[in-house]
Amino acid sequence: MLFSKGVSRLHTMAARAYCAAAVALLATVGFAEPAEDFPSKPIEVVIHTSPGGGTDTTARTMLIGMRSALSPNIVVTPKVGGGGLVALNYAGRRARDGHTLLAITPTHLFAIARGQGSLRIDDLVGVARATDDPLIIVVNAKSEMRTLEDLIQRGKRSPVKWGTAQIGGVDHIAAAIFGKRAGTRIAVVPFGSGGEIVTNLMGQNIEAAGLNLTEALDRIQRGDFRALAVMSEKRLDSLPDVPTTVEKGIPVVYSTVRGYVVLKGTPQDRIDALEAAILQGMKNPAFQSFLSRSGLSMQGIAGSDVWNRQIKQMYEDARAAMQELGMLR
Amino acid sequence: MEGLAAGLEIFSDPTTLGLILLGTVAGVFVGALPGLTSGMAIALLLPFTIFLEPIPAIALLSALYCAGTFGGSITAILINAPGAPPAAATAFDGYPMAVKGEAGRALGIAAVSSACGGIFSLVILILAAPALAHLAYQFGPPEYFALTVFGLSMLASISGKSALKNLLGGAAGVFIATIGVDLTTGVERYTFGRPELYEGIHFIPFLIGLFAMSELLIQSTRTHQILERIKMTAVLLPTREDFRKVWKTILRSSVIGTFVGVLPAEGGTVAAMIGYNEAKRWSKHGSKFGTGEIEGVAGPEAANNAATGGAMVPTLALGIPGSATAAVILGGLQAQGLQPGPYLFEQQPTLLYAIFYSMLLANIVFLGIGLGGAKLFSRISLVPRTFLWPTVFALCVVGAYGVEQSMLGVYVMLIAGVIGFALRRYGFSPAPIIMGLVLGKLVENSLAQSMIIFDQNWLLFFERPIVVLLFSLSLIGIFAAPVAGLLRKTAKEPASANSIEE
Repeated sequence: MLFSKGVSRLHTMAARAYCAAAVALLATVGFAEPAEDFPSKPIEVVIHTSPGGGTDTTARTMLIGMRSALSPNIVVTPKVGGGGLVALNYAGRRARDGHTLLAITPTHLFAIARGQGSLRIDDLVGVARATDDPLIIVVNAKSEMRTLEDLIQRGKRSPVKWGTAQIGGVDHIAAAIFGKRAGTRIAVVPFGSGGEIVTNLMGQNIEAAGLNLTEALDRIQRGDFRALAVMSEKRLDSLPDVPTTVEKGIPVVYSTVRGYVVLKGTPQDRIDALEAAILQGMKNPAFQSFLSRSGLSMQGIAGSDVWNRQIKQMYEDARAAMQELGMLR
Repeated sequence: MEGLAAGLEIFSDPTTLGLILLGTVAGVFVGALPGLTSGMAIALLLPFTIFLEPIPAIALLSALYCAGTFGGSITAILINAPGAPPAAATAFDGYPMAVKGEAGRALGIAAVSSACGGIFSLVILILAAPALAHLAYQFGPPEYFALTVFGLSMLASISGKSALKNLLGGAAGVFIATIGVDLTTGVERYTFGRPELYEGIHFIPFLIGLFAMSELLIQSTRTHQILERIKMTAVLLPTREDFRKVWKTILRSSVIGTFVGVLPAEGGTVAAMIGYNEAKRWSKHGSKFGTGEIEGVAGPEAANNAATGGAMVPTLALGIPGSATAAVILGGLQAQGLQPGPYLFEQQPTLLYAIFYSMLLANIVFLGIGLGGAKLFSRISLVPRTFLWPTVFALCVVGAYGVEQSMLGVYVMLIAGVIGFALRRYGFSPAPIIMGLVLGKLVENSLAQSMIIFDQNWLLFFERPIVVLLFSLSLIGIFAAPVAGLLRKTAKEPASANSIEE
């Protein structure tokens, strides 16, 4: 009994998804060919971090809504390791039939730019973007560095001790590029996680760091940290008084962007169905409150077109940055 | 303190109460199963807690955290397979006790020590959290380096086996910890180009292999021997006399565990290691550790559960997680729209006390489960080995696979099992290897970070008072025993006769 009930529920879900896909197709092509049932088996969302991290929480809160939009049978599959490489390689081995979604961050693009792993940039097809979490240059409020200029001057005397999460990660590249373009010296101290950077900046074991908005906002507002600049083009609504690196004449724009991709070769109607379901999932109150509670803007959410262009752009930027730093072989 | 009474309201809400009970039972269960940890369970529950009110949500998560830490000891004692990393040190003496037919006694000691450690740390949390939290800021990379050096200073004597073998085992553990991408340089070490190895050898499969798998292999060599049946004394609980023997150890480990728990990113595993070390150092039967001493169970168990309350101190008071699991709970708090930090104590005293009471209740409930269940669980040690160990093997494989859902974990577990088997046959103990592995990465990373911060001038270590203190303690720890021995030798006849007798 229970079984048959589950199956029939699955069928309605599938039918609903099919309708969504059909509508999407009608809009673009004019009329739709009958496609086979999708999804016909569990959909995997492959992430590169262990349970509890930002990528994991983003995916799981998004899935609450996505499950009711597409299929109850969607699972998170953690494939941890190698700065996203294990997840990339795993996704590369799966059939390109829309049943495998990959969560990516700039870290994955750096790995691809280094030529690691089995996938190339053209293999990635953006489905939807979830969050855009800009990097902010912060110092301890007790620090003598009051402006970005102070920090640049300070680094000319001796390297500024700058906390980062991982070597080769987005905040490391951002710090290195910033140092180079601002003509100052930075000594990167890797800590492995944002939380440890915060502790060590509080304890003044390090002098500066590039933290995500989600990690730093609360401490900036409380007066523990001083924000010297946002690594973006436009000022943030949540920090209107903090200048951007661009307006200070140092073109360094970095943020932790999280979004979902499938691999090239996945049928377009399925990509559309996934996009619609993910966007639906991100409209769900659970995801919306997750965003606002983490201090993130709703503008982080974007569909396939915007996200796809951004992936390509971020990849080109990553290559250029690594070339500049001599990190490409 | 008005929140102290207001927080009591959680006991009048059946939903919250039910969730705490559920969290505790589930926590003991996932904690006991090798490969499943309370951190994973909490992460899986997180999206669903968004639908709950803040207090029931956090009550559920924190109850799971407390109980999960205790649960690990059950399998560590019964089948030498620590259910979770913090219980690794519990297996050092817990399993030998079960082998001697004292499973119930070991489980009872573990339950009581865990609850005492947990409750002690909660009292500290409620009394001194804001003040204690700032300790977290005092601990930069140099202090972590000194702390790990202090932990490693006990390596030579951690098990009763020869000091040389212990040091070799410890070095092997530290070596295994170097596998993967180096944190401070980004260089790949011993990865053979396999991305799966970039993050290093995962601790849980290695732990399961080294303990449970190697034990299975050792058992399998004994099938032709006539086995001595474990007596029904196995189900007996610890006596009042036992508790008289261990209360000092419990107290000491509670302090150590709370302290180590407060340090960000240091969880129950390191706390338990240091708790074990110190239990051994101060015990009258230190040389018998590793053969089934109750202090060897009480030491790590009180410490790892004290670390749960300790870890909540920086998590709540600073918004900085004190352990990996606390990091997930922090995510849960933030998902509820609560921003932990110094202001949480002023703005949300009720919530804070609610967390305190839920963890307190969780500790009491798992004490009940632990003591009540000890008689039942301990019967596992009476199961004939021919039936028990194949089951354990299945559990090992599932656990090793489950951590990252990859076969690599299973291979690591099998290889670690064979290595552990060989080493044990040649008189090595797994304890120093695990200790080296737990502390190895930390000692290396904190040294590298310190040297960047110090502009490569190591003399700056000695300008930091906590570092100097910990270094001195390590020196005393290393040289106290030999020096005392030397003094005794030069002393009169009766003294030297005594020392031989020991």
